[in-house]
Amino acid sequence: MTNQPLKQLQARLTSIIRGKEEAVKMATVTFLGQGNLLIEDVPGVGKTTLAYALAKSIDCSFQRIQFTSDLLPSDIIGVSVFNQEVREFEFRPGPLFANIVLADEINRTNPKTQSALLEAMNERRVTVERRTYRLPEPFMVIATQNPMEYQGTFPLPESQLDRFMMHIRLGYPAPQYERQAVLEQSGFDFLDRLEPVLTRQDMLRMQAETEAVLTEESIVDYLLAIVGETRRHEMIRLGVSTRGAQFFLRAVKALAYHEGRDYAVPDDVKDLAPLVLGHRIILKTRKYISDAVGVISEIVDKIPVPV
Amino acid sequence: MPQIYKLLTGLLAFTGTVSLLLSGEMNPAFSVVGMGLFPGYYQFLRSGLTAPKWTVSLLSFLTLIVFGFDALVSRDLFLAVAHLTIAFQVIKAFDLRDPWDHLQVYFVSLLQLVIASELMSSLVFGGVFIVFIVLLVAAMVLSHFLTEGGYGMVKMVRPVTVITVVTICTTALFFVLLPRTPYRFVGKSHFRSIRTAGFSERVEFGSFGTVKLDPTVIMRIEMEGRRAGMDYWRGLTMDFFDGTTWRHSERDRIPVSRKDDTFVIIPFRQEDVVAQKIFLEPIDSDVIFCLAPVKAIKAESFRLFVDRERAVFLPGKASRKTVYTAYSSPGEKVPGIAEQRYLQLPGGIQKIRDLAGRIASGGSDDRGRASLIEEYLKKNYVYSLTVRRPPARVGPIEDFLFTSRRGYCEHYATSMVLLLRALGIPARIVNGFHGGETNEFGNYLIVRQSDAHSWVEALIGGYWVRFDPTPSAQAAGPSVSALLLDSITMAWSRYVVGFSAEDQRKILRSVALPVALPSLREGMRLKWNPYFFLPLLIFILVVLFIRVRRRRAERYGFATVQFLKLVKVLRSRGFNMPSPATGRDIRERVAGSALAGTVHEFIRLYEENRFGSREVTPQDRKRYAAMLRQIRTLPLHY
Repeated sequence: MTNQPLKQLQARLTSIIRGKEEAVKMATVTFLGQGNLLIEDVPGVGKTTLAYALAKSIDCSFQRIQFTSDLLPSDIIGVSVFNQEVREFEFRPGPLFANIVLADEINRTNPKTQSALLEAMNERRVTVERRTYRLPEPFMVIATQNPMEYQGTFPLPESQLDRFMMHIRLGYPAPQYERQAVLEQSGFDFLDRLEPVLTRQDMLRMQAETEAVLTEESIVDYLLAIVGETRRHEMIRLGVSTRGAQFFLRAVKALAYHEGRDYAVPDDVKDLAPLVLGHRIILKTRKYISDAVGVISEIVDKIPVPV
Repeated sequence: MPQIYKLLTGLLAFTGTVSLLLSGEMNPAFSVVGMGLFPGYYQFLRSGLTAPKWTVSLLSFLTLIVFGFDALVSRDLFLAVAHLTIAFQVIKAFDLRDPWDHLQVYFVSLLQLVIASELMSSLVFGGVFIVFIVLLVAAMVLSHFLTEGGYGMVKMVRPVTVITVVTICTTALFFVLLPRTPYRFVGKSHFRSIRTAGFSERVEFGSFGTVKLDPTVIMRIEMEGRRAGMDYWRGLTMDFFDGTTWRHSERDRIPVSRKDDTFVIIPFRQEDVVAQKIFLEPIDSDVIFCLAPVKAIKAESFRLFVDRERAVFLPGKASRKTVYTAYSSPGEKVPGIAEQRYLQLPGGIQKIRDLAGRIASGGSDDRGRASLIEEYLKKNYVYSLTVRRPPARVGPIEDFLFTSRRGYCEHYATSMVLLLRALGIPARIVNGFHGGETNEFGNYLIVRQSDAHSWVEALIGGYWVRFDPTPSAQAAGPSVSALLLDSITMAWSRYVVGFSAEDQRKILRSVALPVALPSLREGMRLKWNPYFFLPLLIFILVVLFIRVRRRRAERYGFATVQFLKLVKVLRSRGFNMPSPATGRDIRERVAGSALAGTVHEFIRLYEENRFGSREVTPQDRKRYAAMLRQIRTLPLHY
């Protein structure tokens, strides 16, 4: 198994978003696991930059959708227009038809448009006027959102949150990196000029290899024990779904692959649990994802690790 | 460390300490000290915080000083150690840092329980013991799961139940098998005995009044073929009265010869006697009680004494529950000699002499006169426990006979002795117990402190005859629940505290009978040695141990066992390992030390074997062993 391209990707991304190795790694892991990524943080800490950099580093088509409150589903999926020449309706694909779709500030749009993303994110296809169109491979949605407590936001419905493999936060950069970021040129121009370090084929191959990562029985048991505990925990109103567990396992495989292993270890599960499960549970008392992450960490500490 | 594990440690410390405090032998100051467990474990459970090192050291130092002082002043090392364990538990409650501290708490709790077993023999101890076993087993199982990784309530319940049951069964087996000897575990006894009245060498007149309302159980009696009149449990007799105090003028005690385990006072035929199996609580006297006249006593004691009045004595005060069987032949006449001491009278009793003459004027012989006196006392005096203090210069008997006319058994019996002696009839006073209530649950007799009684023996026609001039007083019986509770206590006394060599033989015989050859049965009494079981027991334990080891290896697989070894080795090298540890936990902890490289390789190999597709090859096995050796021996720093 060669990880040379993966290393290059990692190096590229960290050269753009400095001091955020963990976030960059998790973004890559999500891509390897064929999941969708939700980045949540206050405006202006590099959410969009991360998504854009990831897309530009891979030789993939990229579309960016800036979500606003008046955005309509057809604005992202596409519309059928009547072609006068052939005298029939013709589908004009929307910005969703790309390998990497950046759904910027997804919680600024209304629930109707948000849910238009659902089918695409889950099934990798869209249906318009009884015709189904496959989305390109690989496909990934990177959504960014502002924390819910901020003005003018529609909280994402649980069903949609559940479709994101991982939920990460960026946080403010460390002082030395922030200094660099302030001094250096800003804007996305230089990103546009970046050469990809990975081909589309590389990415597809790595995704296939990721799927083949071995997860030993006790690892699966461990993972399911954590998932099961979220359904029993006294502070949790809604536990992790079976789809959540599927994503969890895929993420575990992806992290193992990212670490250069063809088998998963308990540490993979431990590391990923807060990122993969935090946004999938609803607490009885507090509503913020950061609180939920704390509860997940607590559960992980409680469940015995397989040896 | 899970909360339940901490809680178990706290409960164990609490149980051990409580078992000591329940014995009632601890200095009250240490009961207060023991309270320190609560804040200690409360804080530990709430926040896991421990007291600063210097406080713990200081307290430990102070405790040692107190211990030295305690041992020197009380001259009782045993109790001093008991006190020390309480102080230790309290200090430990504030100083639980690593698993080793928990083990210390377990050990000290066990020690406390052993000490408590010497200090008390009540039913409560049985309860404490069971609770302790369950807690200890749960704690050990949990700590095992914690080091091996993976525990859950469901997983816990089964092993805890199984091991507890096995432990209790093994304990019961040992209890049945261990040889019974009259030797004590520790030389000095620490039982608190029940204060009684009337059985010391000198008996102050009026002392019975203090105990007649005390329901404390003195003894329980199992007896076949009980008949009317068979309820005078004779203790000791006294012959000398100085106006306020009874005592015995002859203090010689003669050792009784022993045959097997029976002390025969007078040879007897089995069919003539009534056997009474008596469970005597520890009292503050060495006299034992039975129906009169006593022929023999079966007891597990080295020696036994009788005095010339046929009162039976243990070599020392009954320091714990005493079990003995008395063989008596009630109704048989006891010959006696009219010695001068049975006619002794205090001075200044002319009025009593006159009264005696008046009462007995109608009697034709000694027996008739004695009966007249008995009748007279019964009819003309009022039984009462509230007796006023006699006026100055008036003796209590004079006051009773001529002025107050109210009194209890002591007044009646003493009066009768004096009246008899005034008539020239030899008489002595007997202190013992009279009556007792039958407990239908378990069919035995309960004799309480309030059944203490005095009566009279008069020498008439060369034989001692019993007279009881006290009118009978009716007392309300205890409730059914009280009787039921007492029957449980009796069962405890009977089958646990009083479990004797004889019972052992009985069980062994009944067990052995179906298979034993007739010739073997004869020799079994002497030759049977319970230690024969020990090798068998050890063998079974070894087999179990090996099986458990094998099961463990099967369950975990080779790589896991190696990994657990690694954790153990690193722990022994001073690395603080969480349990269960993951690969990264270990890597993080050894980072920077000279072991890091080897440990990394070890973990990589383990993870490949355990979670990856790599099979454990013979080379891998060697590699594990070599790396473990390195990790064990390599210096920690470059």
